[in-house]
Amino acid sequence: MKKKLQELLGPRMRALVRKEFQQILRDRRLAMSLIVPPTLQLLLFGFALNPTVANLHLGVVDDSKTPESRELISQMTESKAFEARGTYLSVGDLSKQLANGELDAGLVIPYDYARDLRRGWPVTVQILLNAMNSNTATIAQGYAEGVIATYNQNLSSQGIHAQFKEIAAPSVIWHGLVVLHPAYLYNPGLEPTWFIVSGILGVLLILNGSLISAAALVKEREIGTLEQLLMSPASTTQIIIAKLFPLFALLCMMGLMAVVAMQVVFGIPFRGNVLLVLGAAALCLLCGISIGTFIATFTKSARQAQLTLFFVNPPLTSLSGAFTPVEAMPKWLQPVAQFNPIQHFGQISRGAMIKGSDMATLWPNFLALLAFTMVLVLLSVWRFRKQLS
Amino acid sequence: MRRILAQARKELTQLQRDRLALALALLLPVVLLLLQTTAISLTVSDLPIIVQNLDSSLASQKLVDAFRNALSFHIVPWPTDRQPEEAFTANKARAALIISEDFGRRIARGESAEVQLQIDGSDSNTAQIISGDAAEIVRAFNAERGNATRPLPVTAAIRLWYNPSRSSQKFYGPGIFVMAMSLFPPLLATLAMAKEGEQKTILQVYVANISAHEFLLGKILAFMVVGAGEALIMLAILFFSFGLRVVGDPTPFLIATLLYLFCVTAFGNMIGAAVPSQVAAMQVIALTGFLLVYMFSGLLFPISNIPVSIRWLSNFVWGRYYIEVVRDAMLAGSGWSSVWWKVLMIAGIGSTFYFFAWRNLRRMQLKD
Repeated sequence: MKKKLQELLGPRMRALVRKEFQQILRDRRLAMSLIVPPTLQLLLFGFALNPTVANLHLGVVDDSKTPESRELISQMTESKAFEARGTYLSVGDLSKQLANGELDAGLVIPYDYARDLRRGWPVTVQILLNAMNSNTATIAQGYAEGVIATYNQNLSSQGIHAQFKEIAAPSVIWHGLVVLHPAYLYNPGLEPTWFIVSGILGVLLILNGSLISAAALVKEREIGTLEQLLMSPASTTQIIIAKLFPLFALLCMMGLMAVVAMQVVFGIPFRGNVLLVLGAAALCLLCGISIGTFIATFTKSARQAQLTLFFVNPPLTSLSGAFTPVEAMPKWLQPVAQFNPIQHFGQISRGAMIKGSDMATLWPNFLALLAFTMVLVLLSVWRFRKQLS
Repeated sequence: MRRILAQARKELTQLQRDRLALALALLLPVVLLLLQTTAISLTVSDLPIIVQNLDSSLASQKLVDAFRNALSFHIVPWPTDRQPEEAFTANKARAALIISEDFGRRIARGESAEVQLQIDGSDSNTAQIISGDAAEIVRAFNAERGNATRPLPVTAAIRLWYNPSRSSQKFYGPGIFVMAMSLFPPLLATLAMAKEGEQKTILQVYVANISAHEFLLGKILAFMVVGAGEALIMLAILFFSFGLRVVGDPTPFLIATLLYLFCVTAFGNMIGAAVPSQVAAMQVIALTGFLLVYMFSGLLFPISNIPVSIRWLSNFVWGRYYIEVVRDAMLAGSGWSSVWWKVLMIAGIGSTFYFFAWRNLRRMQLKD
């Protein structure tokens, strides 16, 4: 045991690690791809990917042209959900604009709207939604129904329809209404970037870890310097650890920078323990590095390694729940996402940062991350040693 | 013309011999399309919620039943003496319906009774959907209980156009198709071009009597053929497994597809000619081509949500125009009148790429 420890911490190990550090810092392309893209990607993703549904362009066909109809229109456009984009004379004109994407929604008020309303008859207005984007349509539908419900409530109590109550409901027993009060915990402003950014960090850690470690390991083989290393008195374990340690250290710096950027640029709250996030990030990085190492043992050139990574990383990313929630996936696919380190990292980072979860609730995710890391590290070390001996 | 065809044939033969690249070209687009189109969706349903019913009246039971019967939610058990927040931090539930003990009394008296819905806001989009679904359940509950005899003055008849079932696959399917088209054809093109520089075979081209135009067009033609093959396979999947169709006039879609293939393969050649290292060129394609299209083309979320300071970038992103053409062809079907300028933009951006690729090659070529 003592001998093993000495092997890991002795002067030979230190020399090897120093050599690797210098080598990485000298390789401009590698050093560049360590520093610039990940942080930039995090910022860009955070800014560019935003699922908010707001300021939908609303076109109006008002056949009634009365104070009543104008009141409805102003209620619709008062909220931040809809933004008036002009009135049209016919539904045909409106639908043309909907078709070519100028409008997202249309409101059609019939000519007998005010007359029926004054008589206390129920009226129907038509709301057309461009449902191409299913998410926008779902949320916009909720907004529109909410606006109409509020309009109905106001109708009987105030405004130009004070008389409506007596006309419409003269003798019916008044039933108590249920009023729903939604309260958004953890993110009362519904800041959309928090979800995306906290998930994307995991994607970036895996992506960069695997790309960089594969490139570093394959390079040594391509140039033929691996044999020289093997002839040195260092053991294979020492060589591998020395090789991966500087990458890990540098990528940890990247992770730290990204976490700082999340706090400074996007204002993500740190309600829980930051150490949990950083620990999970380190585990996630080790996962990525061992994916890269594993692939490097199968490939002969950097080109081949990169092409192979194309088969691993995009599927991992798309099943990660980093961009879209796992709950929105089909039921049968959701368990598959549990075998994805990025998904567990996302649970930890979102839990620990936004919700303030602690180890007591996050331990299954940590356990899963640890298990992936152990399996992948052992697998790649085993493959590598087999190749070297 | 003969030289262009010969060059194209040479590229295709070379690709055939590279098994890994061939698998990348033909297998990966299919896998990604199936995977992403199935997995990417924002419209959550059947979410776990907890109910804390402090009232034991019939009315509150009925309200809980309304939530229980909804497809949007399923109720998970949670003891009343534990805070709902604990369920959120443990990821056991996404929302909590809290009914206070005077609910039944107030309802019976004809007063309005408030119930609280606490929603885990960490995922803002899901939180909004939960809030909308819950509001709809409560509206239906109110309407059913008392107001049947007193109809609501104004009802909204909401019509969902172009995608009435609100299927995410119909929206994201065409987007993923465009993403794959923006990644794989240029990747192959750039590999082939950078290889010429890396292995110095480009020198042989310089001394041969093939002109820069012929050389470039041959390469572009070869990878357009590969890209068209990929497009056909992916379209077959979109049509047969996700039920999409080309609605309306198919000519804008066909012409835009050809132009887009030209555009992306010219882009690949441009990068390959500028970066004579296959690994580095691949990274450039992945970073620019793929990421730009992923983020700035409205693939996942509307372009109008991007902050104004960087939104202008999307005007130069070729994938953006193609996505709009494809979505129009498969969902709205409004034809040439609304997409003609988008098709022109694809052609314009493609010609720019071609020009730069050509200039890069020409500078190195010997004068006749």
